[in-house]
Order: sequence, then structure tokens, then C-alpha cells
Amino acid sequence: MTGWHLDDDALRRYVERTDSLAEGTSAEQHLLSCEPCRARVNAAASVIDPSVIDPSVIDFAAVWDRTRDAVEAPRPSVFERLLRGAGLPAHEARLVAVASAFRAVWLTGVVAVLGFAALAAAVGHARGVWLFLAVAPIVPCLVVASSYDPWMDPALEPELVTPYPALRLVLLRTIAVLALALPAVLLFGLVVPGETAFAWLLPAVGFVAVVLAASTWVSPLRAAITVSSAWFALVWLLAARSGSPDAIIQGRAQAGFLVLAAGSFGVFILRRRQLRQLRPWR
Amino acid sequence: MPTASISLRDVGRTFGATRALAGVDLDLEPGVIGLLGPNGAGKTTLLRLLATALPPSQGKVSVLGLDPEVPAERTGIRRQLGYQPQEVGFPRGFTAFAFVDYIALLKEWTEPAARHAEVRRVLGLVGLADLGAKRIRAMSGGQRRRVALAQALLGSPAVLILDEPTTGVDPEQRVVLRTVLAEIARTSIVVLSTHQTEDVAALCERVIVLDRGRVRYDGPVTDLTGQAAGRVWLADEPDPAATVSWRTGTGRYRNVGARVRDDVEHVEPSLEDAYLLLRGGAAEHEPAGEAAS
Repeated sequence: MTGWHLDDDALRRYVERTDSLAEGTSAEQHLLSCEPCRARVNAAASVIDPSVIDPSVIDFAAVWDRTRDAVEAPRPSVFERLLRGAGLPAHEARLVAVASAFRAVWLTGVVAVLGFAALAAAVGHARGVWLFLAVAPIVPCLVVASSYDPWMDPALEPELVTPYPALRLVLLRTIAVLALALPAVLLFGLVVPGETAFAWLLPAVGFVAVVLAASTWVSPLRAAITVSSAWFALVWLLAARSGSPDAIIQGRAQAGFLVLAAGSFGVFILRRRQLRQLRPWR
Repeated sequence: MPTASISLRDVGRTFGATRALAGVDLDLEPGVIGLLGPNGAGKTTLLRLLATALPPSQGKVSVLGLDPEVPAERTGIRRQLGYQPQEVGFPRGFTAFAFVDYIALLKEWTEPAARHAEVRRVLGLVGLADLGAKRIRAMSGGQRRRVALAQALLGSPAVLILDEPTTGVDPEQRVVLRTVLAEIARTSIVVLSTHQTEDVAALCERVIVLDRGRVRYDGPVTDLTGQAAGRVWLADEPDPAATVSWRTGTGRYRNVGARVRDDVEHVEPSLEDAYLLLRGGAAEHEPAGEAAS
């Protein structure tokens, strides 16, 4: 407590923030130890017309909010910034990027498996090509399934009862995954000799569509694992019987994968309402 | 018939051969409604039906006058709905703020400043205002439950569905949460399931007891507690006439029995006594044919 008090003019200038820096600092020092003056400041501040406050003066509430945002609000990941750069609105880029499929560990595993298969195809003999053909088409569908399987995305239940359409969420994640996975597989395909380098593309698209359609009945991951197993079995059978990947590479087979993709996508769209009951793998 | 904001008519739900709910008729209005029942009674199934996470196998559900089976109306319900599932998993590496912010995005809070302010508000309501930047994996079980509750409170929903919101939450925080929920229930319908009868006694005006997928009791909490009047007594030994009895902290036995006794030392019944009595009676008289989930 001090012996003097702020006079009315000084108090008004302090509240309206029209005082000088020195005067304001002095007033502030005094207010720290003077309860009656603090009460007068509060009373004056509660009736003050906001329009008289100098707009150039810092809005401390806004500064505090921005400071808290800087500490608390999540920073966009590299992938999220890429999506924004590609034109996706900020909020949708965030929704896509949080999918579990974008976890670094998972992606590293996928890249490692693909790299191994591509290397085997490049330096090995026919078996290496078979290995690439067996692995490359199933990578996109496994990554897509893991981006929205309730087992991989444990927050799916609260997510699915929000107004945001489940179909849009699943498709956005699918497209984002494909945008990431397809170029990666293509890149690895460059080291694979002959037509095999691209023969996996249509089967991959077909399998993604099959997984989307099947996940309206069963868990997305279960669907992806079943599709992958069936594909492995088919590739193994072809390799054992003919020893040549022509059966997959030839036009008729490729057209079949296209039909599979279109048909499955049609089923998925027709059954999209079932997406709210996505079943977890376990 | 009362004007209800949520109504269920002859609602049933099966999972394969398992019947989780059968013949449920309910009208729910603003207030806190407690849902009690043993494990597998159908509480979570009922809450998931109300939260539009699951369609009924039979019957009609109406939420705020809207039909959850019509896509556009279901979206309308979801705009006014908060739902805390029994188990909420959190994406790896998320902080409390990031998770609630993410759900807020899905709830159409697209403007960052307003969304962040709302996230801070709900984290403050559940007592986590200063832990927004903490990773959820580093939080205690009770704190994680509160993060899950915070996301349900976004936008002050007209319908709040909470599946065991107080499990693992410490007593002080439970009191805080009760205060928050009581305030929300002045204008909203709050339905919460719990195994903690003291939460229902302290917070709910109305209690619904589910057993094997059917509504066993639906009415005021005080009426249910009243049913145990004269049926709870203390004795030095467990009474063979009691449906349940247990040793209390004083060393004496608290006995709860179906028959009203005159020759014993009666004590004031609690909601738990009444619930155990109801459950004990159900176990004695009910045919064991129906399965539940």
C-alpha cells in the first residue's frame, strides 16, 4: 500500500491505453501494490467504450490465444502440407493425414517389402519378376484397408457418428493412400525388366475396389488379407504351371482386372450406407 | 403420450443368433438418465443405437424427431449429438488438444480460431485445460476418459450419450463431471451407462435397468430406492434369508432380501441395495433362454 493514488486522468489514460510507456509502467507498478486503485481500474474498464481504445494497441486476449495455439494446436505433418499444396482444404488435409496408414513405421515396412521385391526382380531371374508381381498389386489395397480399419484407427467409432460423411472420409483416405502408394510402386517398377513393371497397376486398382466393396460386409483388413492371399495363391499357381507371367500381362487378363475394379466400385457405392458399421479386424 | 425428444418403439437388436435387445419402448426427455445393468445386459447396444452407430434389427428409433435410418436425417441427428463410446482408442502420438481438435473437424468446426476456442472450452469443462499439449499415451486412465468425454461435449449437443464416462476417474473429478453433466442436462438429454450406482444416485432423476436385453425397471431413482425399504438390515452374521449379504467396514453384515422383515435392525436402503434386489429377483424368476450381448 502506498500513500498516493492514481488521479482520474492518469487512470483514464491507463485504461484507454493512451498513456506514455513511462506513465503506463509507473501506473502498473503502483497498481501491483494498491488494491483501491485496482478496483477503480476494474470499474473503469467495465464501462469503457471499446471504440475509444487505440486499435494499434496489442489485443492481449488474442495474443494469448495465439500463444496457446502455438503450444497446443497440432503442427501439420509433411504429408499434410503436401496435401494442402495439392489443393485440398486445410481441414480435409488434416482428416486424411491422421489415418494410421501414414505412420512412419508402417510406410517404412511397405517401402522395404516393395524395395526387396523390386530388387529381386531386377537382379534375379524369372522368380524375382514373379515376386514383384505377387507383392506390388497388393500393397495399395493393404495400405488402403489399414487407413480405415477400426483396428488400425481406434477412434473410428466417435469419428463415424459425426456429421462428416463416412463415404467421403474413406474415399479421401483411399485417394490419398493411392496418391502415395502408386508412385512409390511405379518408382520401384522402373528397376523391373519388361512389361512386368506396369502389369501390376490394373490388378492393384481392382483389388483396392474389391476391398472397398468387401468392407461393407467384413473388416477392411480381413478383406485385404483375403484378397492378398488369393492373389498370392494365383501367382504361385501360374508360376508353378507355366513359368511365364504372360497370363497376367496379356490384354484379356488386364481387361478382366478393369472390369473387376468397375464392378467392385459399383457395389461399394451401392452399399455405402453399410460403412457406418465398419467391422474391426479383431 | 408424453412429447419425447427420443423415442424407441419395440426396438430390438440381434447379432447373429444373439439377441442383445428386445422389445424396448422408451421416451427420453431432457435430464440425466442413468442406465444400469450387468455386463451383457445390452447397455452398450442401446447407447450405440441412440448414437446412430448401429441400426436396430426391429422397431423404430426417433431422435429429436428425426429418423436415423434416413441418411439426411441421420446427419441432422449427428449435428446435435455427442457420443462417448465405452472404449475410445486414440491415434498414436496425439495430444489431448489434437484429438479433440480432430473430432471437432469432423463435427464441421472448420474455422480454426472458433474451433480452437471450442476445444479449449471442452477441455476446460473436464478439468484438462492445462494438459492440452500432453500426449494422450502419457496420460492416466482417468485423464484419457476425460479426453474422450471432452470430444463428446463439443458444440454443447442436445443429445449426449455416454458409455461409462466415470470409469477410472478419481472422486474429485467425478464430482466435477457430475456438476458439468447436471448443467448440460438442463437443456439436453444425457443418457449415461455406468456400473457405479452412486453416480446414478447423485446425478440422475431417472434410471433404466436393463437385463438380458429387456427393460427391467424404468422410473425415478427415488422410487427404485424406495422398493428396498424394509428389505435392508444389519446383522452380526450373513443372514440365510437374504438375497445378498456382505461384511461392511464396521465388521457387521449388510443383508438385502426380497421379503420385508420386522424382526431385524433396518438401515436406510441405497440405490445399490435396490439394484441388487432387482437383480436378485430377476435371477430367481427369469427363464434362462435368452442370450444377450
